[in-house]
Amino acid sequence: MNGKEGAPRVMELPRPKEVKCPYKEQYQADVAVIGCGFAGLNAAVSAREAGQTVIVLDKGKPGYSGLSPWPSSFRWFDPERGDDEDAFKEAMMRGGDYLCNLRWYDCWLKESKGIYQRLSEWGILAQYPKASEAGDFYEREDFAGYREMFDKFDRHKRWVEVLDRYEIPYLEHTMATDLVTAPGDLVSNGLAAGEASAREGEQPEKICGVMALHVPSGQVITVRAKAVVMATGGGSYKPTGYPVGGDTFDGEYMAYEHGLPIMGKEFEDFHTTSSQAPGNVFLDNHWQYLENIWLCGGDVDKSNVVDYAASKGNIMAMGRVRKAVNGVAQADGSEIQDVATASYTRRGGSRVYETDPEEIRSGKMSTPVAASALAGAATGMCCHLTSGVFCGLEDTDGATGLAGLYVAGDGIHATSPSGAAYPCGVGFTSCFTSIDGDHAGKAAAAYAAEEEFSEVPAEQIAAKKEEILEPLKRKSGFDPNWARDVLHSIMAPYWVSVAKSEETLKAALVQVEYMRDHVVPKLQAGTSHDLRLCIEMKHKVLSAELKLRASLERKESRGGMYREDYPYRDDENYLCYIVQRRAVDGTISAEKIPLPDEWAGNREEAYNSRYIYYFPGEPEIKGFEAPKKQWGQGGRS
Amino acid sequence: MSVVRIDLNRCIGCQTCVEICPLDVFYFDEAAHKSVLAYPENCQSCGQCYLNCKGHCLGISNDTYGYPITAFRGVTTSPMNRMVVTEPGVLTELTNGKLP
Repeated sequence: MNGKEGAPRVMELPRPKEVKCPYKEQYQADVAVIGCGFAGLNAAVSAREAGQTVIVLDKGKPGYSGLSPWPSSFRWFDPERGDDEDAFKEAMMRGGDYLCNLRWYDCWLKESKGIYQRLSEWGILAQYPKASEAGDFYEREDFAGYREMFDKFDRHKRWVEVLDRYEIPYLEHTMATDLVTAPGDLVSNGLAAGEASAREGEQPEKICGVMALHVPSGQVITVRAKAVVMATGGGSYKPTGYPVGGDTFDGEYMAYEHGLPIMGKEFEDFHTTSSQAPGNVFLDNHWQYLENIWLCGGDVDKSNVVDYAASKGNIMAMGRVRKAVNGVAQADGSEIQDVATASYTRRGGSRVYETDPEEIRSGKMSTPVAASALAGAATGMCCHLTSGVFCGLEDTDGATGLAGLYVAGDGIHATSPSGAAYPCGVGFTSCFTSIDGDHAGKAAAAYAAEEEFSEVPAEQIAAKKEEILEPLKRKSGFDPNWARDVLHSIMAPYWVSVAKSEETLKAALVQVEYMRDHVVPKLQAGTSHDLRLCIEMKHKVLSAELKLRASLERKESRGGMYREDYPYRDDENYLCYIVQRRAVDGTISAEKIPLPDEWAGNREEAYNSRYIYYFPGEPEIKGFEAPKKQWGQGGRS
Repeated sequence: MSVVRIDLNRCIGCQTCVEICPLDVFYFDEAAHKSVLAYPENCQSCGQCYLNCKGHCLGISNDTYGYPITAFRGVTTSPMNRMVVTEPGVLTELTNGKLP
C-alpha cells in the first residue's frame, strides 16, 4: 500500500525537498579508488590484497554505473588453446594504424587469461541460456521475465559482493569533483625528461585526498588518502543510444586541472544507434545487455590476419565515414541482425569452437536485435582505450606525473593497446581495463605503503567546497540540461564528429569557447541533482575543446579520425601520439610524442599494402587503385 | 526515451530504482514510502530500474523526453505544467506543481 490513508495514489510525487546523507563528511584510507567499473573494481581489490586500506567512490552504484555494466563480450589470449601471439600482434598494429602501444598489448597477451579466471571466480562471467533459446521470452518480448528467470546469474550484483568480500567500503551516488594536493616532489610523467605536472616556476604536488559530492543530499565529502586511482571512465556529451550517460569526463577534467597531459581526444568512438528509435538504449540493446557476457578469443591466426584487421578497420573506422559522406539508407525497422549466424571473426569466437567441445570461446552469440544504422550513439566518446591521461611510453602502472595519482580504464588512461581504431575484436575492453585496474591498484598500494598521510590543507578544502556549491548560490543563470543539449547540437553533426575539416572544427571551436567563457560560469542549480549536472557540463565543455583542438592538430586521417581535407595517413608528420595540457598561461598546448620504431611496422612497405582500409579520397591522392571490395564497404559511392 | 511510471500503486518502496539508477533519476518519499520519478529528462534509458522493479511499476517509453533548444533556458525546480495521471485514463495538468 502507499502508506497513506485514502484513495490509491496514481500521480507522481514531487521530489523530496531534503535528502539525508547516509555518509560522514570525512573518510580516510590508504588508497581511494574513484569509479568502480572493471578497472576500479580490480584496482580496489588488488590494492586491498596488497595489504592497504581502500575506499571506493562511485557516482552511481558499483555494478550499475559507467560503461562496465554493458559489455556483450570478454576476450582473452590463450596460447594453450593455440592462439598465435605474432598474428594477434600484427592484426592489432595494422588495424590500429600503427598507434598500438605494444608494451600494453603485451600485458594483455600475458595476463588476460589470469584476469579471465579472476572475473570467472567472482561470478561476473557466469553463462546461462540466451533469451531466444529460453522459453518464449523472446517471442513475448518479456524482458523483465527473462531477467527474473535468470536473476541469480545477474552480474551487476557481483560488484558489491566482491567489495564486501574484501571488506572494501564504498560510497554510492558520490561524485568525485576535485583532487586534494599538498606540496610534493617532481616526478616524471613520461614527457620530456624532468618535466611533470609542475612546470618551471610551479610548485610540484602530491596527492593527499579527494573531494566529492553526495549527489542526492548535496553533502560535500572529503576523503583523505595517500594514493588515488582514478577509474572514472571517459564520457559523452549526451547518451543517445549507448549507455554512457554517467560518464562525463570527470577524471579527465581533474587531471587536466592539475597539469597532466591528455591524449587521444581526436579519435572517435564507432557505436551506432537504431534508426527506428535513435536514442533509446534499451531498444537498441535490450537482449544483449540482459544476457551473459560472451566468451571470445582465438579468432586471429597467420592465415587471416590481414583480412581480419582490414574488416575490423572497415567496420570500426569506415562504417561511420561511409554513412556520413553518402547518407543513410531508409530503414523500416524490419532488418534484424543475428550475430550468432555471422562468421567466427565477426562474432569474435575461436575458429575451433565448432569442432572442439573443449573450446568455450564461442564469440558473441546474443539474441537477434534490429539493425542499427546511425553513428554517434555516444557523441564525444573517444575510441576505446586510446584517450585519457598519458603516462609515458615506458609506463605500465598508470602512474601519472602527479605523485600518488594513478589512472586506470577506458577513457581516462590512454593505454592505446588497440591504436587509432579498435581492431581487436569484441570483448577486448572489459578484459583489458581489468588488467589496467589490477596494475594501477598494485602500484598505488606500493606507493601508499611507503608514504605517510599528508595533512589535508583546510583552506584548500574550504575553497574547493565553495567552488563545488557555487551554482546553487547563483541568483540567475542557465539550466545545465539546456547547456547539455546545446553542446550536443554543436558537436554531434557529422561534419564535426565524423568527417572533420579545418573550417568545421574551427567553427565548432568558436561555439565551444563561447560556452566555456559565458555559459559554464553561469550554470545554475536549484537542487543538488542540478549541481551534479552543472559540474558535469563544465567537464564536457573542456572535453569538447580538447577534442576539437586535437582534431585540428592532427592534419591527417588515421583510424577513428577522418579529416576530409587531409584524407590520408601522413607517417612523416603524424605517426605519433598528440598530448594536450594546460600551459602555464592557461591556454591548451599540444605536443607530439614520437613512438618506438618497433611499434611502427614496416615503414618501407608500399603505402596501400602497409595500410589496409582507405578513407574516401585517399587512393586518388596517394595514386593507387581502390580495391573493389573495400570500396563497397568503406568508400564514397 | 525514458523510464515511465506504469502504476505508482504497485511501487512497494524497495528503493531498488533509487539505488541502481546511475543518473540519479529517482528519489524516495519516506512518508509515502514510494519512489519518485524526479528527473526523467536525465534518464539514459538503460532500463535497469524497469528490469529490477520488484513491483513492476515502471516501463520504458520510446517517446523523446526533452525541451526544444531555445536561446537560453533557466533552471526550474517545480514540475510546472506537467500532465499527470490522476486516475486510470484521466490526465490532469498540474498548476504550480499542484493539482487544481
